[in-house]
Amino acid sequence: MRTLVWLLVVGLFALLAILLSQLGALDPLKNGALTVASPLERGLRTVASPAADFLDNAADRQDLEEENRLLRQQIEELTAEIASLKESEFTATDLAGLAEVEESRPGDQFLVARVIARDPSNLKERLAIDRGSDDGVAEGMVVMSQGQSLVGLISKVLDDFAWVTLITDTNSNVNAMVLESRAQGVVSGSLHGGLSMDLIPQDAKVEPGDTVTTSGLGGNLPQALLIGQVAAVRGEAQDVFRKAEVEPAASLSRLENVLVLTSFIATHLASP
Amino acid sequence: MRYLLFVPLVLFVALAQVATASYFPLLGVTANPLLVVLMCWAIVRGPRETMVLIPLAGTFKDLISSDPVGVSVLALLPIVPLAATRERWPTESDFLPTLAVVAMASLCYHLLYMMVLTAVGDGPPWLQGSIRVILPAALFNTLLTPIFYLPVRWATTLSEMVRPSMRVPI
Repeated sequence: MRTLVWLLVVGLFALLAILLSQLGALDPLKNGALTVASPLERGLRTVASPAADFLDNAADRQDLEEENRLLRQQIEELTAEIASLKESEFTATDLAGLAEVEESRPGDQFLVARVIARDPSNLKERLAIDRGSDDGVAEGMVVMSQGQSLVGLISKVLDDFAWVTLITDTNSNVNAMVLESRAQGVVSGSLHGGLSMDLIPQDAKVEPGDTVTTSGLGGNLPQALLIGQVAAVRGEAQDVFRKAEVEPAASLSRLENVLVLTSFIATHLASP
Repeated sequence: MRYLLFVPLVLFVALAQVATASYFPLLGVTANPLLVVLMCWAIVRGPRETMVLIPLAGTFKDLISSDPVGVSVLALLPIVPLAATRERWPTESDFLPTLAVVAMASLCYHLLYMMVLTAVGDGPPWLQGSIRVILPAALFNTLLTPIFYLPVRWATTLSEMVRPSMRVPI
């Protein structure tokens, strides 16, 4: 009987807290808790990161691991550069629409933020950064890796902290295009941190290794932001659309610092 | 009431989980040490103490994660009835039943968690979530159980040697 009463009372308390949380009434409390906890979290992450590396690799392969990390970063930067150059090529060949968008972003402004926590639930792909509304961060802002590829969008802002929903989250959908063929589609996240590009027209030429960037369609993301590379293409001849598996350019599971693109203002287009 | 001295330790487990669990994935999922600690605690020391620890630890975890406050408390609730049920079926050793109960608690945790996320419009796909998260996470948490069960067991045995247990059935 006592257990039942406890279950009812605590269950009701939890439901009430969820409701208040959804209304944003507990945001100051969350901000306060994160202010206290973030230095400890940062310390724990500093300790855990090498421990995780150690478990991932044998001790004598640490140099190789470091080299691999640097090479991955270089690949990401170079791929982003290639994507940017290819985009410039298209602009140069008189694609007026693209040029307009490019010219509308003369100088991007970034805010460097440190990753302090990651959602541990397995069901969401989110991470906390140490910048909030006091630093000018707002919901919907674009978050990029140091290699300048897309990481995600700001989904919740507190005074001093913000939560970023990664592109690999199951609720994330990004309008994208394959740079080589200009084929458009939607890149969605899935559980286990994978990315897939859906709604690719059947006649579009898409091959493994192709570069996937944001298309800018919808106005909530800038154009030509690197997302990743096509890993595999699926779909039968009779399918209306094809699907591609996309390997994210950024190493999303090991992000330490990110860049918040503060200069881009998302436009939410209403249906006509 | 001496168990309240362990509250900071339980809160630290929640903090460590939020900060570092993603560094140590297995089967594509991360562990839930908070759930495992509380379940081991409830089995070894009786569910009464966890009735205090669950609201404290769950609320703290939600405050420092992206979850709405209260989700973890709700998802951790099944620990108490599971431990109470386990108490009615005494066995010679607690260890094997603890493994089974942790697996059950993990399944209940994720089911309740997904229900709340779906209700607030943040839900993952259920079929994919069940296959790719709920079952592997239950296995991972079960594998993690000895790491937490043994210290809780030893600490309890040690404290009983100093002072006989005052474990009160509920």
